[in-house]
Amino acid sequence: MGLTLSDILQRSKEGPILEEKQFDMSIFKKTQDLQKKYGIKYDPENPLDKTGDIADRVYQAGRELFLDIGAYSTTTRRAIKVTEKELDDELSACPKEISLGQGPDKVKMVHRSVEGPEYPVVIAGIQTTPYSDESMMYTIYRLCALERSVDGIWGGILLKIDGKYEVIAGTPSEIYQYSKTISILRRAIEAAGRPGMITISNAPTAPATIAMFDEQDGLRRSDYIESTGMSEMKVAYDDLSRTAYGLAQGIPIHGTHSSVIGGFSATPEGAAMVSVAASLQLVVVHRSVCFRCGTVDSRIKSRVSRGQLWVAGTAIQGLSRNTRLIVDGTIGDHPAAGPGTKQYLYESAAGHIVSTVMGAHSTEGTRKYVVGEICNYGTPLETRWMGEVCRASVGLDRKQAEKIIKFLLGKYENNLKDAPAGDTFENLYDQRTLQPISAYQQLYDEVKTELRQMGLNFRQ
Amino acid sequence: MEMKEISVKDRALLDALKAAIIALDEGEAVAAAEKVIAAKVDPQLAIRYAIAEAAIMVGEKFDCGDYFLPQLVISGDLMDVVTKILEKNIPKADLQVKKIIVIGTVQADVHSIGKNLVSTMLKASGFQVVDLGVDVPSATFIEKAKDLNADMIALSSLLTTTMPYQREVIDDLASMGLRDRFKVLIGGGPVTMEYAVKIGADGYGKDAIDAVEVAKKLLAVE
Repeated sequence: MGLTLSDILQRSKEGPILEEKQFDMSIFKKTQDLQKKYGIKYDPENPLDKTGDIADRVYQAGRELFLDIGAYSTTTRRAIKVTEKELDDELSACPKEISLGQGPDKVKMVHRSVEGPEYPVVIAGIQTTPYSDESMMYTIYRLCALERSVDGIWGGILLKIDGKYEVIAGTPSEIYQYSKTISILRRAIEAAGRPGMITISNAPTAPATIAMFDEQDGLRRSDYIESTGMSEMKVAYDDLSRTAYGLAQGIPIHGTHSSVIGGFSATPEGAAMVSVAASLQLVVVHRSVCFRCGTVDSRIKSRVSRGQLWVAGTAIQGLSRNTRLIVDGTIGDHPAAGPGTKQYLYESAAGHIVSTVMGAHSTEGTRKYVVGEICNYGTPLETRWMGEVCRASVGLDRKQAEKIIKFLLGKYENNLKDAPAGDTFENLYDQRTLQPISAYQQLYDEVKTELRQMGLNFRQ
Repeated sequence: MEMKEISVKDRALLDALKAAIIALDEGEAVAAAEKVIAAKVDPQLAIRYAIAEAAIMVGEKFDCGDYFLPQLVISGDLMDVVTKILEKNIPKADLQVKKIIVIGTVQADVHSIGKNLVSTMLKASGFQVVDLGVDVPSATFIEKAKDLNADMIALSSLLTTTMPYQREVIDDLASMGLRDRFKVLIGGGPVTMEYAVKIGADGYGKDAIDAVEVAKKLLAVE
């Protein structure tokens, strides 16, 4: 019999006790050693590993890292560790396929291979962004759900209840607001004629996340619940409360974690190892059946710098080649540039191409990296783009993908720190016809044509 | 004493100390600090020159991608060690008191990356930093700042729905008649300068490097 959540909780109470700083610095020391041991070297001239050789070594190093230091419980200040046999048993027991959604809208999420023919599951919508009011939220949700290139939609947030009372995390207003917005999302997908479509949302706290589940009017067992690991390689009981609810109710658990380039894993090589190690954490500790293997950069507010593409792409490839896990890449979900700009489309495309070609799904929606309090900061056209690019990337090999990636990096990598802000839905969509304004549609078509000429095989 | 008043030999000792800190070599840095003391170089000058300049250089190395968070942590710890050696040789009455900053991520928010970066860079820049961690209630920030007689409270938030807790700290300080006692610096992914102005914060750091500059300016630190 494999490990259970109860085993994990027990280890979080009995594992080696250590200060958080000690754990953080152990990531640094261990990744430095492993980088030498496995001869891992990031070459900016080659943003994608085209043979899988580095990816295999990154996988082995990440595995050794996880087995050596474990995951850190910030609640109990102890390391949660597993043996090599336990890890292998968990990896063998993990499903290779899950179903999400219902009825005609149901999709299978399977283990994807590198350059594989399997279509990725795409969950779009403007992820966790603020909306100005319920009516606008419903409209944008519905228009996103009408985009046939995607399989699911992310929920967003309202900053005020009844346009009047502020929503604050950790208070009753958070539970009320998140429950309310997911109910609006359910009505919107029904109105779009896709009532079984996957719906996803994730609140800052476990009680508000759990409160969103309601078969009639909220998230369903056919959706998934998020259990988020903290960067880097940490977990809190709040995350495991979500896991506990998912296990008890038979809801698939989706884990997320980001390594940090410039963080305690320091270098891109270290971050790639941590991306693998944390993915194993999400499977073993969070009990995830699918998970996001991602990275952030401490200096850049985007997910698609050259180094990030290499880190996430290599880690995903390593996991795809060496396990049968269901990996979610989602590198293109948080561009530095805002909606309505070419740069947004370039950044988004780069991330989703790498994710798809390296063997992952893309399920973390569309959203500018920094949104702040600006409402309706996104449109359904970014949802369409995410779906179209993911699907068009199926069938590309890594060499072709790298050629396109280099073209895209040439378009945006010098503008990540000073990216164009873009605009809101009100200014990018005709508010009468609810279609993109001609300038935005034209810009979209131009970028699509450019990428088609570069070899991306758009279905339409 | 000022730098221009010291001999070439003494300047070389301070340069060696500075270089050892930048290289993160604890053995060399301790030995260099002891040589500075043995040569009777003004220890206050050593702190002002060697350590302060090393802090700037380490920050620049972080900014250009040569150093990462772990190196900032190591350099911060190393500066503490060296400063203690030097301070032992300064009369208590002449010791310069470090500005104290209480920092943390606000209530209901467990994101720590940005806060850790700012915390580490502030420490490496010569501030006494008390990091309260994540999910910190307003009352804890204020109590700790009062207990330590802090100069600044620095608040991080990565979620739109936890940003109101930054305002709560400011409002609570005002309600308690303490608003003028502490400078308040805010930052985090969704936070903007406009928001800082709106809630009455004293400063906003758009990233870790900017936060250090703003803190220095607000606390009148060279």
